[in-house]
Parts: sequence; C-alpha cells; structure tokens
Amino acid sequence: MTILTGKAEALRRPQSARSGALRKIWEHRADYAYVLPAIAVMLIVIAYPIYYTVELSFFNTPPGLQLRDKIFIGFDNYIAILTSPVFWKVTSNTLIWTVGSTFISFVLGFGCALALHRDFVGRGILRAVLIIPWVISAVAASYIWKWIYHSDFGIIGAVLVGLGWADRPPNFIDSVSTVLPSLIVVNIWREFPFAMIMMMAGLQTVPDQLLRAAKVDGANAWQRFWHVTFPHLRNVSTVTILLLAVANFNSFIIPWIMTGGGPSNASHIWITHIYELAFGRQRWGVASAYSVLLFLILMSLGYFYVRALRGNEQKDGSE
Amino acid sequence: MSTIAETAHRGQARRRMRIDGWRWGGRIFLVFMLLYTALPMVWMLITSIKSGFAAMQFPPQWWPDHPTLASYQKLLDPQNSVGQDFLRFFWNSLFVSTATTILSVIVAVPAAYAFSRFTFPGRNFLFFAVLLRNMFPAVIFLVPLFILMRAIGLVNTHGSLVLTYLTFGLPLAIWLLKGFYDNIPVQLEQAARIDGATRFQAFFLIVMPLSAPGIIATAIYSFIGAWNEYIYAYTFLSKNEQLTLPVGIQRFFSENTTDFPGLMAASFMMSVPVVVLFLVLQRYFVRALTEGAVKH
Repeated sequence: MTILTGKAEALRRPQSARSGALRKIWEHRADYAYVLPAIAVMLIVIAYPIYYTVELSFFNTPPGLQLRDKIFIGFDNYIAILTSPVFWKVTSNTLIWTVGSTFISFVLGFGCALALHRDFVGRGILRAVLIIPWVISAVAASYIWKWIYHSDFGIIGAVLVGLGWADRPPNFIDSVSTVLPSLIVVNIWREFPFAMIMMMAGLQTVPDQLLRAAKVDGANAWQRFWHVTFPHLRNVSTVTILLLAVANFNSFIIPWIMTGGGPSNASHIWITHIYELAFGRQRWGVASAYSVLLFLILMSLGYFYVRALRGNEQKDGSE
Repeated sequence: MSTIAETAHRGQARRRMRIDGWRWGGRIFLVFMLLYTALPMVWMLITSIKSGFAAMQFPPQWWPDHPTLASYQKLLDPQNSVGQDFLRFFWNSLFVSTATTILSVIVAVPAAYAFSRFTFPGRNFLFFAVLLRNMFPAVIFLVPLFILMRAIGLVNTHGSLVLTYLTFGLPLAIWLLKGFYDNIPVQLEQAARIDGATRFQAFFLIVMPLSAPGIIATAIYSFIGAWNEYIYAYTFLSKNEQLTLPVGIQRFFSENTTDFPGLMAASFMMSVPVVVLFLVLQRYFVRALTEGAVKH
C-alpha cells in the first residue's frame, strides 16, 4: 500500500517495521470507527447510484421506470447522444454559460475583494449586503429576476422605454438571442459573492511588508498588484475558479425555473437537458448515458481540483 | 512619492487616505456592485407591498401609491388556504433542514477528526473521494436515488430528503471541520492523555469544545443548503402536504402566476431565516469556508 502522508500525524502510533496491507488495516481498526458512519452513508447514496447510472446507460428503458423490461443495447444511447444536433446546441450553451459565469463572477468578486480590502466607514455593512444574494435561495432569486425581466411589467424594460432606448420592453428571457446572457446575469448576481469571500480571505495572507518594500522600491499600484499581490493569490484563485466552474457546470435551478430550457433549447444546459430527458420524457437510458459523460468530464475537472489542493498542502508543508 | 514618510506614519497616512485614481475606481466599482446586488432585492420588497392591481401597471409605480401588507397577511394567516399551504411548507422546510443539520454534524464530527488526526490506509483516498462528491450534480444521482427511495418506500417522505441532503452536506462539512481540527494543537490531547484520558475522552472533552466555532459553521452550512435545496425535493415529493418552501412556492405560483406581489412576499419570507442566520454567524462561516483554500 502507499505510504500515507498527512499533516497532523503526531498521534500516530509507533509503527511496526514492515507489514502487509491487511495487517496495517487491522492495526488501525479503531480509527475506522470514526469514519465508518460517513463511509456507510456515502456508499449507499453515492457509490450505488454511480454504479446504477453506468448500468442503465447501456439499456433501452421503457417509460414509467418499469425496469424489469429494460433491453441491453450496448453503446446505442451514447451514439444517439453524440449524433443529435440538440447535444451540440446544449453543449455550446453549457460552455458559454460556464465560462461566462465563472469568468465574470471571479473578476467581479475579486474586484470587490480588492476594493473592500482597505478599511473604511461602512465596510462591514457593505460586505454583508454584497454577500446576501449568495445566501438566498436560487428559487427566490429566479423569481425576483423573472419579475425584473418581465416582458410587460419588468422594471428594466420600463427603464429602457423611459429613457427612450427602446420602443417597447424587450423580451429578455422569451427571445432566443437574449435568453442565455440574461440568465448569466442572474447567475453572476448569485455567485460573485462567493468569489469575493474567497479572495478576501486570500488577500489577508499577502504579507504587508512585501507590499511596502515594493512601494519603497518605486513600484506603482498596478505593479504592486501584478508582481506582489497576484502571485500570492495564485492558489486561492485556482481553487475559487475551479469551484465556480464546477458549480456553474452543475447549475439547474436558475435555467429550469426561469425558462425551463426554452425558448427552443436556447437556454438548455447539460443538467437541465438531462433532467428533462429523465423526468420529462422518461428516457432513463439516454439520460443515464448523458450522466456518465458528465461524470467523466467532471472527473477530469476534479483531477485538476485535487491537484490544486495538493499544491496548497505541499506548499504549506514546506514552509 | 513620499514613501518613507508613509512608512513611518502609516497609521496616519491611512486615515488621511490620498485620493488617487485607483481608490476612486474602487469606490465607483463598489457603488455599481451595490446597485447590482441591492436593487433586485429592493424591487422584490417594493413589489411585495403592492396590491395585485398596482403591480400590473406600465410604467411601473416606483413606490406604490397605497402600500399594503396584504400579501404578507395572506401568507401568514392560517385561516385561509394560501396561508395554510405557505405555513405548512415553511414548517416542512424547517423540519427537514433541522434534521439534516443535526445528523450531518453527528456524522461529520468524528469523520473530520479522524481525517485530521489519524493516518490509516486509504485515508487520502477517502478524503479526496469525499471532496470529489461535491463536484457531481444532483442530476447524476437522481434517477438511481429515485429508484432506491422507491424500493425502500421513502418516496413522498421527508426521510428521503434528509438522507439525500446528508450526501451533499457531509463532504463539505467534513472538509470544513477538518480545517478546524488541523488548527487545534495536538499537544492539548497529548496532555490530556498523559493525565489518563482515553483517546475518545480527549477528543470529546478537549477537542470538541474548542472546535465549537467550526461545528457552528458546519451546522449553518448544512442548514442553508437543506433550506434552499430544490431538485431532490422537486423530484421526490409530490403531495402538497409535504412540499418544502422552494418547491411549494413554485407549485403554488405556477398555477397562479399573476400574483407577483404574493410571489415576492413569499420569496422574501423564504430568504429571511437563512439571511439572518448567515449574517449573525458569518464570521465563523467565512473563516471555515476559506480555511481549506487559504492555509495560513
């Protein structure tokens, strides 16, 4: 077995020289008692579902979840997915949605963190207000914005008409060309506070002396940011961006409640599409195949995530 | 630049705050972000005190001519059917969220402690497996879990929700708590053990009280997550009596879409508990959340 590296190993028992894996496990049997409940829950609700999803993805399943009647069809579900034009539409939507939301949320959140880094009157209140969208439920957020975008009584449309910039209120979420950007605005609204929190915490770890030294050396504000602050934030930025990207990739509530994927698939992303295939059209096999593909994509994202975290830990250990 | 003077009297210089381009840029940016963040919420509140008729005007009334709390009265009045539904959804959400919170703390505390303190074969693997769980969307687990819940007869019960909420609550709870345990010096336990405490006693009597802030943060996280959860509740529950708030509000208003003041009032009341909880305890929460990513 591998040699285990951990941070807090002070309580480790004295290890007998070389021993087999089984013996090692047996020696640590008491330790497993602490994690056993967690492992049990995870096995039932994680390992089993993943196994089952993979299995279902190779079957043609009848509607109504009459799973006794399922028929093995090999990779047909996967072929059906990859040859369907909807798949490519949904994939491009997902890319725009994920990259757009992640990038803008991160930039806005980072900007807020920088602007809030110095103390000033009302900073605490301002920070609290900026965090609120992240805490309230996505369902509530979806309805608030649906009302703001409303094509007859929405406030944005009314302002545009009032300013003379539009003849009549635009159909933000009922029109194919504007629906995705409009939903991204809502998503960013809910998400930039997370980036802000993470980056604020990161900023606190940037050593003050370094910044002052750079200042003495004649670095201007931009140079101080680019050469001192930013390199210090590389790890926390990576983790934040990855977490945001994964969360965005997995979004469901905002597109589902605001548009249900419409009009004509213009706001369907992977997750909403899978949900509709499974619980709307009851095509469990195809939906499972989609889930497996999604799973593979996320595993590769997860690989980078773990690497970023490991990078943190190693750096931490060497200091 | 008067760098030396600034270094010497940094405190003073800070207070006087030279007005430069960057700082002004930052302020304008913050004002913009404040408007972006707050205006939708303000508009929700303003709409919630309009009458149904006043909400349906174009151009909209910025401030209602006749503000009214009728929507709130209707939602909170157990005498009429709207109020009955809303209060029941509220109660269901409270029950499910509280049960999830208690259970996830009970399961996560020992697990996080073990991940922080012990080395055992598979420790790293298990820890990253726990983390990876958070990357997977509910949808992947939805079909098999639905089948599983149906098989063990939990569909249409709150038990199905509590059990599934544990799965997405637990990984992060364990992660958050591990960060806290890592920061508690092991010498404290060693001292206790020298004094004759068993390992469990040292954990329970010494480490547990010290990690209270972490446990609080974990509990808030679980509670907010369960309170806002939508997709499982939407899929597993179909009877009106059992719905939680997010789904209940959706069911209710998809039949009755013209009542935007009522919808905004309901959204507001759904947000109040979690926002209050979060604002009161945000110090613990933010610390725990960022602990893992930003090791000090």
